[in-house]
Amino acid sequence: MDERFALAGIRPTAPAPAAPKPKWYKGKPLLAIGFLAAMALGCLFCQVIMTKDPAYMDLANYARRPDREFLFGTDTLGRDIFSMIWSGGRVSLAIGFLATAISTSIAVAVGAASGLAPRWLDRLLMRLTDILLSIPSLLTVVLLQAVLGQAGVMSLSLVIGVTSWQSIAKLVRTEVRQLRRSEYVIAARCMGGGFFHLLRRHLAPNFLSSIMFMVVMNVRAAIVAESTLSFMGVGLPLEIISWGSMLSLADNALTSGAWWIILIPGAFLAATLLAITELGSWLRKSANKKQSNL
Amino acid sequence: MRALKRLLAFLISLLILSAAVFWIARLAPGDPLASYYGERAEKMSPQQRAQAEADLGLDRPIHVQYIRWLRNALHGDFGISFKYKTDVWQVIRGRAGNTLLLGGLGFVLIFSLALGLGILCAWFEDRPLDRIVCKAGTVLSCVPEFWLSLLLILIFAVYLRVLPSSGAWSIGDGGSAGDRARHLILPMTVVVAGHLWYYAYMIRNRLLEEVRADYVLLARSEGLAKRSILFRHCLRNAIPSYLSIMAIAVPHIMGGTYIVETVFSYPGLGTLSYESARYQDYNLLMVLCLLSGAVVILCNMLAQAVNERIDPRIRARQAVEEVSDRG
Amino acid sequence: MEKLLQVEHLSVTFDGPAGTVEAVRDVSFDLAPGEILAIVGESGCGKSVLCKALMKLLPSNARTGAERLTVDGADIRSFGERAMQKLRGRVFSMVFQDPMTSLDPTYTVGAQIAEAVLVHQPKLSKEQVRRRVLELLALVGVDQPEARAKLYPYDLSGGQRQRVVLAVALAGRPKLLIADEPTTALDVTVQAQILDLMRDIQKKLGTATILVTHDLGVVARAADRVAVMYAGRIVETGTAEEIFADSRHPYTWGLLRSLPSLAAPGQPLYAIPGMPPTLSPPPKGDAFACRNRYALAIDYDQAPPMFRVTDTHFAATWLLDPRAPKVDPGAFEPDTGPAGAAPRHAPPAGEALLDVRHLGCSFRLTKDRSLRAVDDVSFQIRAGEIFGLVGESGSGKSTLARCVMNILRPQSGQIVYKGVDVCDPARARAHRRLLRQDRQIIFQDSASSLDPRMKVADIIAEPMAVNHITPPRGTLREEAAFQLRYVGMDPVYLDKYPPELSGGQRQRVAIARALAMEPSLLVADEPVAALDVSIQAQIINLFKHLQAEHGFTFLFIAHDLAVVRYLCDRVGVLYQGKLVELAPTEELFARPRHPYTKALLAAIPIPDPRRERGRPLFSFDGTCLGAQSVFAQVAPGHFVLGSGEPEAAT
Repeated sequence: MDERFALAGIRPTAPAPAAPKPKWYKGKPLLAIGFLAAMALGCLFCQVIMTKDPAYMDLANYARRPDREFLFGTDTLGRDIFSMIWSGGRVSLAIGFLATAISTSIAVAVGAASGLAPRWLDRLLMRLTDILLSIPSLLTVVLLQAVLGQAGVMSLSLVIGVTSWQSIAKLVRTEVRQLRRSEYVIAARCMGGGFFHLLRRHLAPNFLSSIMFMVVMNVRAAIVAESTLSFMGVGLPLEIISWGSMLSLADNALTSGAWWIILIPGAFLAATLLAITELGSWLRKSANKKQSNL
Repeated sequence: MRALKRLLAFLISLLILSAAVFWIARLAPGDPLASYYGERAEKMSPQQRAQAEADLGLDRPIHVQYIRWLRNALHGDFGISFKYKTDVWQVIRGRAGNTLLLGGLGFVLIFSLALGLGILCAWFEDRPLDRIVCKAGTVLSCVPEFWLSLLLILIFAVYLRVLPSSGAWSIGDGGSAGDRARHLILPMTVVVAGHLWYYAYMIRNRLLEEVRADYVLLARSEGLAKRSILFRHCLRNAIPSYLSIMAIAVPHIMGGTYIVETVFSYPGLGTLSYESARYQDYNLLMVLCLLSGAVVILCNMLAQAVNERIDPRIRARQAVEEVSDRG
Repeated sequence: MEKLLQVEHLSVTFDGPAGTVEAVRDVSFDLAPGEILAIVGESGCGKSVLCKALMKLLPSNARTGAERLTVDGADIRSFGERAMQKLRGRVFSMVFQDPMTSLDPTYTVGAQIAEAVLVHQPKLSKEQVRRRVLELLALVGVDQPEARAKLYPYDLSGGQRQRVVLAVALAGRPKLLIADEPTTALDVTVQAQILDLMRDIQKKLGTATILVTHDLGVVARAADRVAVMYAGRIVETGTAEEIFADSRHPYTWGLLRSLPSLAAPGQPLYAIPGMPPTLSPPPKGDAFACRNRYALAIDYDQAPPMFRVTDTHFAATWLLDPRAPKVDPGAFEPDTGPAGAAPRHAPPAGEALLDVRHLGCSFRLTKDRSLRAVDDVSFQIRAGEIFGLVGESGSGKSTLARCVMNILRPQSGQIVYKGVDVCDPARARAHRRLLRQDRQIIFQDSASSLDPRMKVADIIAEPMAVNHITPPRGTLREEAAFQLRYVGMDPVYLDKYPPELSGGQRQRVAIARALAMEPSLLVADEPVAALDVSIQAQIINLFKHLQAEHGFTFLFIAHDLAVVRYLCDRVGVLYQGKLVELAPTEELFARPRHPYTKALLAAIPIPDPRRERGRPLFSFDGTCLGAQSVFAQVAPGHFVLGSGEPEAAT
């Protein structure tokens, strides 16, 4: 008898050869991460990079075109733009992160409370959030800043943070409501998991990943808000150098046609925002992989 | 019944909003007398000051002031603007038209263009056109509005000298239609370019979600053409969320308009709100905040009502959610 | 006779991020006009992909290759989207699994059928379209078609909705209807009605049908011919009689034997060991070999060709090769779980562990409408007993389970557990430590049954960590490893996340987590409903085995009487929130009294085409329920909800 046809029964199968692991950098927004890292490092160690004192007003050399000495030119007060970019970036990025930290904390607190609260309280909280969302945030920011007096880095971060938490809070609430209904949370409650256990083990890890995108976008929005406010003259004053306050000299620059005063800080600003956006959309992209039916 | 409830909710929202703005505004340390009396405020004697404050009702406790304001407001009297020294409505009326032109037309443009672009991108999903539009949109949406305005002014007004850089009309030229249009081009470009992409991208993604639904397969298997599935089914299913997005977008676009107005010194409500907040022109500020709040809340309610009419699921879903929430 | 559909050597591959998946591999079959072919297989075997490939509805990352693909005489291999549009609906049409999502929620059903009618007859007048819509609705057995046409899909029940989908599919008078799991999402008593309807339509209109299903029982009722698919291939094909009476492929044997209705009472269910292979890339040789007790050496090496049994019956197994040894399919050992079948002791007729008294729970739907999910239900479960609770969707069985576990608070009645009324918040609070550790729940397998962001080890150890219990085996991780082995899984899975596991594995993890607390009462809410037949059998055997070892009291909830028969000591039947019948399992199966129980029993398909086809349906519309209010004992331990009068013999 052909031994190939002998009864063999169930044989343990060799595990399928693991697919070659994709390179760690595959699919990651390398350019964006690289740029952001470079910016962050440059701003942190600006003392090393800066060629001049950014606050020094060299009135003899005001509104100079970019040249060897002043790499990016000087502004209408005679300050060196190259040095200002780095020291100003420090302020702009700091405000972006600080404001986001503040708004995210508020958002998580309000959203989680609303998601876990009884229905009437949830309705009330969400109605209030909607009302706050209905005032153009520019107005509230101007108002609040007026209350707090002369803007500094901390007070501006506070104001931006306090006015930009609403949409994250709404998302957190929806997520928490959904998670609350999911069976693993019910099971954890059955086995006696208390509120903090649920929050730490189940709710937080699951909703954090879904709000990550919004949080990153919030950093972006905070940086935009800082620069817009400072530009309009209600944010940081001229003495506190940031990308926004640098641009508040734009009016003088326009009349004298000094394009570099407008173009260079703005370009850094926009590039940073773009890199942050890329990072954000990469964070979001993981979920929807289903193919089109059309 | 339902309409009555909505109206009530609307009024309560406005009430809360007005109270909040009233309190915050009064907390500000600035001197409201300065905006009314200008330079003279500084030279006043204490007696004069007290007299002036009493005249303007500023010497009473805040809640009394608020109640008085509310009572007057209910009679249609919103007070006078400290800065312009006329009835606030008078001040607003002169500016509202300009903002409506910029913001309203911008809103319509944004949403019709966004719908078109969104559909186009969804139809050509992942093909070059879609990719280019998405990429260009991402880049443009990262440019802050004020900086885009500056760039446009720099290019078109300073270097090329083809378009005006500020105002709503030229001085001396009484505001002919052509002149106004020329003044509108740059601000409108910024308003539209600042928001268009974000909403187009949202529509695209929402449509792509619909395209992956099961009913699309059924429609295709009965021989329906792709185009009619997209327009008749997917679009119809996506419209409710589109309307909600539009409603949520109102304050954003309004905020954007205000910024653009300031950069272009465009005489609208944006510049007015900005001034009134900076110079503690309370009465004017209250009305402006309430006005924008009312527009936003109204839009939200409108979107919700239209949604319920279009999408019968919403009512059913609410019932279901209510049940499953008890878990 | 001219064939309606001819498929030769059809293959479909998908390019995905994890590599290429060969979903359909070298499939050939044909179909005569008016014939009903059933394609049977477990989830992931490629049967749905095959259907979509026939209609060219696959997404753009799929690649299809075939040597021949003709429909109604036309070679459609080269057809583009435009040409296919002309064929779809008119020549072939499709029905999908989930009637909830396959209708557009924003149109009335009438409008959707009208749309399908107009696609192929655009010149019809409004009145003609209306008449055709009503005609179609009547054809698919929707009563009051005029009124129903004006409703939106969510207003209809699942069965009604599936009928509407069928009407849409039939609107263009297709010659071939492809039905992809048309009854899977429906209640058991509705399933048979839809199958009969499809058979009826085939008789009236002469429509050929491809019926795709995972359930061999469904096949017996409806199909002329059967093709069994496994891992992307057709492994056996023949007439329904041949497959059920004289199957040749070991996989078909396994499928047939794992049907719960075939299992002898008291005997462990047969379960095909192991899991289906992944298809990227498919295993070498016969894909079924590693689950096949009769695998030959050559199976691990070379895929078998199709062997001819009769002119209509073919099977792809080396066992049919003349050189192969003869085997007897009847003689194989049943798979009895990890430690062999423990003999089942009759539960002690002791006192009740759980006593549910006049329980009522309702939800407010809107201001003036509320739903009584559980309505005056009373029963007792004795310590050590396995109590089955059977009911279809909307019967209130999950609500009941949640009330028992203190997740929901009932409006009326009592639940007494070990002498503690758990519905009384103060009493429940006083005993909360006991209640938490003593009662555990297992849910239906779904994406949300296990936290996707926790490792298996942490999931199993969670209850211990929460209750600060020192694990008896040293560390929490060792304890988790022990529990995992105990439910038949290798400890290598400790560091995996739930999305990386298969449905059966996830359910084993859920069981391990529940058992880690050594509960006295285990509540399982539809724990096997989402699993494939062969995996279902594995899990049910595991339950039975674990219960015999631990002796916990077990409340097992299912929608299908067939699965509770083997497992449970006593069974209660729920219908629309009311307990309509309660009896020891054998008594219930032998002498059902309530018409609804009879309908449920009749819905269990008999895997014999000749008997199954002629069998009349026993439907229950609930009309007689109103008058019944007395829950009376009709035999020792056998209670029926009735009008209180002696029942006429049926």
